[in-house]
Amino acid sequence: MIAMKRVAFAIACVGLAMGAAPAWAHHSFAAEFDANKPIKLHGVVTKMDWINPHSWIHIDVKGDDGKVVNWMIECGSPNTMFRHGLTKDSLPVGTEINVDGYLAKDGENKANGRDVTLADGRKLFLGSSNPDADK
Amino acid sequence: MTRRWLSTLVFLASAPVFAQNAPRDNSWTAPRLPDGHPDLQGIWTNKTITPLERPAALGNKAFFTEEEVRAFTKTALDRGNKDQRGGGVRDVLNAYNAFWWDSGTKVLPNMRTSIVVDPPDGRIPPLTPQRQAQLQEEALAVKVRCQRPGCAIANSGQLSPADKPEELDLMTRCISFGTVVPMLPSAYNNDYQIVQGPGVVAIDTEMVHEVRRIPTDGSAHLPANVREWIGDPRGHWEGDTLVVDSTNFTGKTRRGMDQNLHLIERFTRVGPDTLLYQFTVDDPTAYTKSWSGEIPMSKTDGLLYEYACHEGNIGMRDIIVAAQADEKKAAEQAAGKK
Repeated sequence: MIAMKRVAFAIACVGLAMGAAPAWAHHSFAAEFDANKPIKLHGVVTKMDWINPHSWIHIDVKGDDGKVVNWMIECGSPNTMFRHGLTKDSLPVGTEINVDGYLAKDGENKANGRDVTLADGRKLFLGSSNPDADK
Repeated sequence: MTRRWLSTLVFLASAPVFAQNAPRDNSWTAPRLPDGHPDLQGIWTNKTITPLERPAALGNKAFFTEEEVRAFTKTALDRGNKDQRGGGVRDVLNAYNAFWWDSGTKVLPNMRTSIVVDPPDGRIPPLTPQRQAQLQEEALAVKVRCQRPGCAIANSGQLSPADKPEELDLMTRCISFGTVVPMLPSAYNNDYQIVQGPGVVAIDTEMVHEVRRIPTDGSAHLPANVREWIGDPRGHWEGDTLVVDSTNFTGKTRRGMDQNLHLIERFTRVGPDTLLYQFTVDDPTAYTKSWSGEIPMSKTDGLLYEYACHEGNIGMRDIIVAAQADEKKAAEQAAGKK
């Protein structure tokens, strides 16, 4: 039994050690966004670009001075997002969202959309992989 | 545990597995096209959580048991869903959960512990000393170059030149993701559409919509001086199996393999919903021995979406602008010191 437990443990560790496919975007997000500049944004969706290779959410963000600035938030591949259940109706114009990401290095108003939370607390990009319902 | 017990365990582990390793249904015959060849057409997917190489901890264990599949799957999926944040560059580089990816939720139906089936340890053989030296030389040149500004952190986590498009990797430039040489699963877009016509088979790859046009008319390979990003494939039928022989590569599409790559692939429809894909990488100047892999691809009802990577490659533009700004700032600082 001890040996069998060891096998199970080894299998579990294997799962931890490596996935099947390299899990990175088509380009390096670390090259595009600054790890030293975390940013939190609260804004209202003005547009959603379902474009390749990555989708972008456009939001209007009101600053402390009352001035409204448009920001672009980079998301995943549109094919993948669609297969995970996101559609053009998922983020209608006017939707309030919170973004917890990092500022673009090019100095423009862009951030990565690693964590996007809706006003009711639902996490947009925290879907789960259900082994019983293959995508 | 005694040797006898160990043998029993190995036997119990192997018995159900070999049954599942044979996805062929002998009572089933592949539908035929008017030319008499099997109909391989349709949209097939190779997405899986089965690793390309067998983790060293599993040694020569080629197949999972059912129990091990459950343990491996749970751990792999839990890991994918876990918040990967750890601070610093890691947060930006790879702290993205499973929602960003589409690499499947299941191991391959053959229950193998790796896609690589030969060598028996399930691992890609070492590169030749000559190829290792070439790659080390390239890596050193990059390292020396990146002592100056204008570099950015690549997907590998290493600094890489980035102040003009030509310096960026093929993925970032939307040229090729290297997922068709051979056809291996990636983090997403793991679908392929096969279309057959008289004297030709075409495979449309969802990732960057690379299309492989494979003549099956007996024509010879292109002259050796003509090189193609995804090689020059020529197909012929051996019974019900489409065999594709590819040469004339550039050596740029997948790290390790060089321009002498000779790729042999076999496509066999073994059931209504299973296309067995087998490949052998024969590249004697790159690898110390040839290696082979196997993926039972599954039929999918889903659509093949166009991944028109150039459509909005804003990320590439942003990387270059940032690297150029980095260079400019360094130049201004240097000028200010003078």
